[in-house]
Amino acid sequence: MFTEPFMQRALLGALILAPLCALLGVFVTARRMAFFSDTVAHASLTGTAAAFLVGLTEPTPGMLVVSLLVAASIIWLREKSGLYHDTIMALLLTGSVAVGTVILSRLRGFKGELHRVLFGDVLAVGPTELWLAGGLLIIVVCGGAWFLSPLSLITTSEDLAHVSGISVRAYNYGFIFVLTLTVTVSIRLVGILLVGALLVIPPAAARLVSHNLRQEIWIAVLFGMIAGAGGVIFSYMADVPCGPAIVLVSIGLFLVSLVVGRLTSVSRGRQRSV
Amino acid sequence: MTAPPPPHPVVETRHLCVQLGGRRILDDICLTIAPGKLVALIGPNGAGKTTLLRTLLGLIPVQSGEFNLLGCSELRTALPSIGYVPQRLALGDGLALSVREFLALRRRKTRNWFWRSRQNLDLELPVIAEELGVRPLLDKSISSLSGGQLQRVLITFSLLDQPRLLFLDEPTEGVDAPGERTFYEIISDIHRSHGLTVVLVSHDLSMVHRHASWVIALNGRVCCEGAPDDIIREDALREAYGLHVTSYHHHHPPEPLPHPHPHSHSHDHNHPHVH
Repeated sequence: MFTEPFMQRALLGALILAPLCALLGVFVTARRMAFFSDTVAHASLTGTAAAFLVGLTEPTPGMLVVSLLVAASIIWLREKSGLYHDTIMALLLTGSVAVGTVILSRLRGFKGELHRVLFGDVLAVGPTELWLAGGLLIIVVCGGAWFLSPLSLITTSEDLAHVSGISVRAYNYGFIFVLTLTVTVSIRLVGILLVGALLVIPPAAARLVSHNLRQEIWIAVLFGMIAGAGGVIFSYMADVPCGPAIVLVSIGLFLVSLVVGRLTSVSRGRQRSV
Repeated sequence: MTAPPPPHPVVETRHLCVQLGGRRILDDICLTIAPGKLVALIGPNGAGKTTLLRTLLGLIPVQSGEFNLLGCSELRTALPSIGYVPQRLALGDGLALSVREFLALRRRKTRNWFWRSRQNLDLELPVIAEELGVRPLLDKSISSLSGGQLQRVLITFSLLDQPRLLFLDEPTEGVDAPGERTFYEIISDIHRSHGLTVVLVSHDLSMVHRHASWVIALNGRVCCEGAPDDIIREDALREAYGLHVTSYHHHHPPEPLPHPHPHSHSHDHNHPHVH
């Protein structure tokens, strides 16, 4: 199984992207940005369609450009229109799906690509995606040393972060930029419909069994790695799409965490009451 | 021989006006706060006390007028030397952040907290954490704290890295009576020993009278300011609060203070109370 180059690429991609998503997901879930990442992911459909429309053979550049444009539009509309976040994101999400579907329906021979973009495919992880994923990993790991404290404080209280001399707006833009790139690259592996799960489920599972932020981050990264590698192997062995396989392993981890979290909180409660 | 020039004010506002939701909250605020003072901002609900603090911290935009803090023309330059305890802060509970980690977030020294041991981080804790009873809370999640515990943690947070100016917005809300007395004693102590300037919003006129060195009565504008004895009087308060001010006589002696370094205070038992 691991002698085949496409499986090696898929496994390597999963081992980079799934923990990366889990790490960012710790802050995505805490800041209630799951809908934001879903909107950016759905914008990739238009990006894919636009890439094929202009004659590109690889959709990734189109996906990156359109997703970043949509992320910038969300910020701009939020600051200028006075509309609620949910309204803006629902507008852009449905708009992106509509535009992407209309363009793809007018192009011949891309129906298979639509399925691949929606649900992910191990075959879709090529050298371009691996280079992008590796670059993002370096940015997040190196940047994390500097950004972890400000980002954690901003997530806890933007007011306290501001008064502590942190440029809240700059950090928020930086986080959104890295998140958008990560979501877009991860789509090749798990698909538009399921990339949100990669950002939400491992961090949510980690939150259930963590007593502090350090634990939460380590456990989320570990769960991301197990879900990514386990999902790719499960996908190959059961001959099912890669995205759903990764999500199913993530849900399995979540259920285990739920039980462990309940048991440990019950035992802690007992200790307190003794 | 010429007299030394007066010290540069720590807070200076010139004709400051602030509008929120189309309503003018602060009108033509002109204030000068000298270094080393413990200044109490008093006034009825909706008087703009919190708005004034948040404006000075850059959390609310100024409509007109100007201000500077610690003599810095740029607020960003002054912020690292300012501590702030907000009123009823709703901390995001999305992260499993412990109190120890929360206290490490602000300090440059502990910015790399993720890679440091708990014991190592605890060594960096200021004495104030001990005095405010925060040490037993260090392993607790910030989201599991009671209102009073959270307030004590926030006060400790505000005093990290020895600020020169401290803004406290009803800092003892949710703190029990002994905790409140301890807190005011500690703030008074720090203010005296470190020459820290404190600007405090409070409704507790008894505590204000006991600890403040200057009182500013606010009600959309500066109604009056002066020494506590001059301001915490029925006639002066009536201007700030309206007509609902009556005076009660306290006959009980001051209670012993639980603070490890108790200070003696002259206790005035004739403070007006506001209804």
